[in-house]
Amino acid sequence: MTREVIAPPRPGLDFRHHYGHHQSAAIRAGGLIFCSGMLPIDAETGERMHGTLTSEAHVIFKNLKLLLESAGSSLDRLVQVHALIYDSIEYDVLNRVYRQYVANGPPARTVWTAQSEAGFKLQLDVVAAA
Amino acid sequence: MTLPRTVVAPPTPGLDVAISLNQPASAMVRGGPFLFVSGLCAVDPDTGQRLRGTTASETRLILSNLQRMLEAAGSSMQQVVKVNVLLHSMLEAVPMNDVYAKFFPDPPPARTICGARLPDGCKVIIECTALA
Repeated sequence: MTREVIAPPRPGLDFRHHYGHHQSAAIRAGGLIFCSGMLPIDAETGERMHGTLTSEAHVIFKNLKLLLESAGSSLDRLVQVHALIYDSIEYDVLNRVYRQYVANGPPARTVWTAQSEAGFKLQLDVVAAA
Repeated sequence: MTLPRTVVAPPTPGLDVAISLNQPASAMVRGGPFLFVSGLCAVDPDTGQRLRGTTASETRLILSNLQRMLEAAGSSMQQVVKVNVLLHSMLEAVPMNDVYAKFFPDPPPARTICGARLPDGCKVIIECTALA
């Protein structure tokens, strides 16, 4: 079995080009798609879109939708999500925005507090069915 | 349908996290088409002794140990699909990335980096999923 590299669907989502990160946008292997940590980056320009946790979540889900759909998957096919938030006080805020994107049978999920790069408030680390 | 689940022994005793880090964990487990590797911190591969250093030196040691482990399990750095990197501070992401880029192929695996409180004074912990 081999792994297949998923190219960034928009120029802004190429983290290697914009930030020198040695990582692919996503890898398809064994019937699953493993995405690199998703951050609130403008999909066209690569600009960092700092904001509230809610506004960052909207940008991240928009980018995640682009990435998964370009790989033949979708938000409905997420199987596991790790949501890294900057402060656990935002847990309810995360849930409110999160629900809008995983309406039907939400994926398995773990939330914890961690630092993300550039002081972002949210990072999503996901696995989807291919 | 039941897929096999196999615990894979590490190539040297120092890389057995159950001994070196006193963790109730296997270093590697094969499940379905994947090989799951426990979070590794910087240890001497022969003795399992913690080797404290800079973020760069700990990253180098962890990835060289990871390479030995994957190859002993019949996998390789080329077959890694996802890596999670935990740093003691996100300020150290660049030195980690510089060392990391020397170990993984081009195109590299998917990766998530975060800053977190790590046990035992570790500066870096790296876990990964590879194709078996």
